[in-house]
Amino acid sequence: MNTFSAWSAMFVRDMQAVIRSRSQLYSSIFTPLLFLVFLGNGVSKGLSPSKLSAGDFTAYLVAGTVVMTSVFSATFSSASYYRDRDSGVMRMLLSSPHSPRVILLGKSLAGVCIGIVQALLVLAVAAPFVQFKWQYGIVTGFLTAVIVVLLLNVMLSGLAQALASRIQTMQGFHLIMNLALFPLLFFSGAFYPVHDLPMWLEILARVNPLSYAVDALELSAYANSTTGFWGLGLDFAVLGALAALVYAVGLTRTPRLTWSGK
Amino acid sequence: MLVSGKPVVTAQGVGRSYGTRRALDGLTLDIPAGSVFGLLGPNGSGKSTFISILAAMEVPIEGELRVFGEAPAAALRGRIGTVFQENTADPLMTVTETLRLAARLFGVGSERFRERSARLLEAFGLSARANDPTSGLSGGMRRRLEMVRALLHDPELLLLDEPTTGVDPEERRALWGALLDGEHGRRTILIATNDLAEADAVCDSVAFIQAGRVIVTGTPAELKRGLRRETLRVAWIDPSEAQLDQVRTWPGAGEVTVAEGVVHISVDDASSFAPRLFELAPGAIRSLRIDTSSLEDAYFQHVSQRSRPAEGVSA
Repeated sequence: MNTFSAWSAMFVRDMQAVIRSRSQLYSSIFTPLLFLVFLGNGVSKGLSPSKLSAGDFTAYLVAGTVVMTSVFSATFSSASYYRDRDSGVMRMLLSSPHSPRVILLGKSLAGVCIGIVQALLVLAVAAPFVQFKWQYGIVTGFLTAVIVVLLLNVMLSGLAQALASRIQTMQGFHLIMNLALFPLLFFSGAFYPVHDLPMWLEILARVNPLSYAVDALELSAYANSTTGFWGLGLDFAVLGALAALVYAVGLTRTPRLTWSGK
Repeated sequence: MLVSGKPVVTAQGVGRSYGTRRALDGLTLDIPAGSVFGLLGPNGSGKSTFISILAAMEVPIEGELRVFGEAPAAALRGRIGTVFQENTADPLMTVTETLRLAARLFGVGSERFRERSARLLEAFGLSARANDPTSGLSGGMRRRLEMVRALLHDPELLLLDEPTTGVDPEERRALWGALLDGEHGRRTILIATNDLAEADAVCDSVAFIQAGRVIVTGTPAELKRGLRRETLRVAWIDPSEAQLDQVRTWPGAGEVTVAEGVVHISVDDASSFAPRLFELAPGAIRSLRIDTSSLEDAYFQHVSQRSRPAEGVSA
């Protein structure tokens, strides 16, 4: 049996499913854009934060919003495991002559791909309206952002897959994802810089994988120097290692067909 | 593929448990190549579990199982087609997309896919719906689509788990017609069902299964052989053991069993037998039906014979 044909079939099928599920597609793009437009403008104009360059909180918020989009996308994409289980599709997929990993690989790569497109779309939509510095040049900066988004989505996809294989209901899965990932977003520097925070908050930020994605995205697009950041080297090292580890763990999980012990 | 009679499936003492629940308890049977074999039993008797094990989606915890002479494994799934008890079509996909996905998973090339899908959709009356979303199909059409999907890679062994559940009689006839027309002996078909009339009509051999064990196996004719000519189905309010034992002693009476509140009495001549029942239990008999003895009667006979000594039940 042709393994490539099998996983690419799964990839195409899951991409089609997301594209046809318009509400999912639109909500995962518009929600972060709403944050940018209302929270960004509201804080910039209403509070005029002095630590930000030109007081532009919207520009600062873009990196965090890109990360948030990836989080939403990974959560929505992984919900397809539940849809496939409940609609019976998963049973058919697992009756094929392929390892469950081949099926999962196709599904998760589709999720990663959609997450990357959505996250970069937010960056692309925001770019003309905010004052990015692109300190490494726009091409290098954008490519850096693409790699960060790729690693982030691979990591989140693996995490979502690992959780989806262990949590019985889609509602429970969404709850756990929100419980786990929303606090991580708050400690990641997505909404405020983490470097001048109290020690305990900075420690939380240091052990938070999302912080490294925000750090790298801020460095590539928003910042005009590397001062006050952890640096791309550390960011890529942490994100790369975690993406490989978590994705590998996610792929080893076989989706359950039922939860009645059978 | 020819009918060789050599078993495609050989199961010896196969067991499977889920926690403390025993789903299969030493199941033993052979399924000859090219046959249409029925696995008949009530809900929860282990039919679906056995099918999942044959499809290498579950592993038996004891016993020996051979499919095509080998232990079930993922690689063998390419030679097996499975129609599950529940529908497996994605509601967001069209009929053709559903089949194309299955084709790619089961290694069917583009050219062969076009030829096979066109032929099967035609045979199963779905050609006109090829580009429709599966969510728009009726229940019967979805079951037919499941058949087409399972047959797409031309499997040597077809596993059908309650294939006609929720299908109306007309659709049912169309489905079996499309499946068996010109196919008989070409592939081995295992049907797990609790519809004994359907099994009687389409199966070459059947096995009665109860609580994860095979009670008896044979052709429908063989299993019906010991039965009397007719069966009385009596809606009888609270028959006593003494009354049932008395019926058993009457001349011409065969097996007397009780299932789901109905007394089944196998008899030589029902018309002469019926009046005596009304005399025996005046006012307790609500209705009475006379049928020619069927596989269903054979099933009740074998099940009751098996459960009587163990459970102390005489009916």
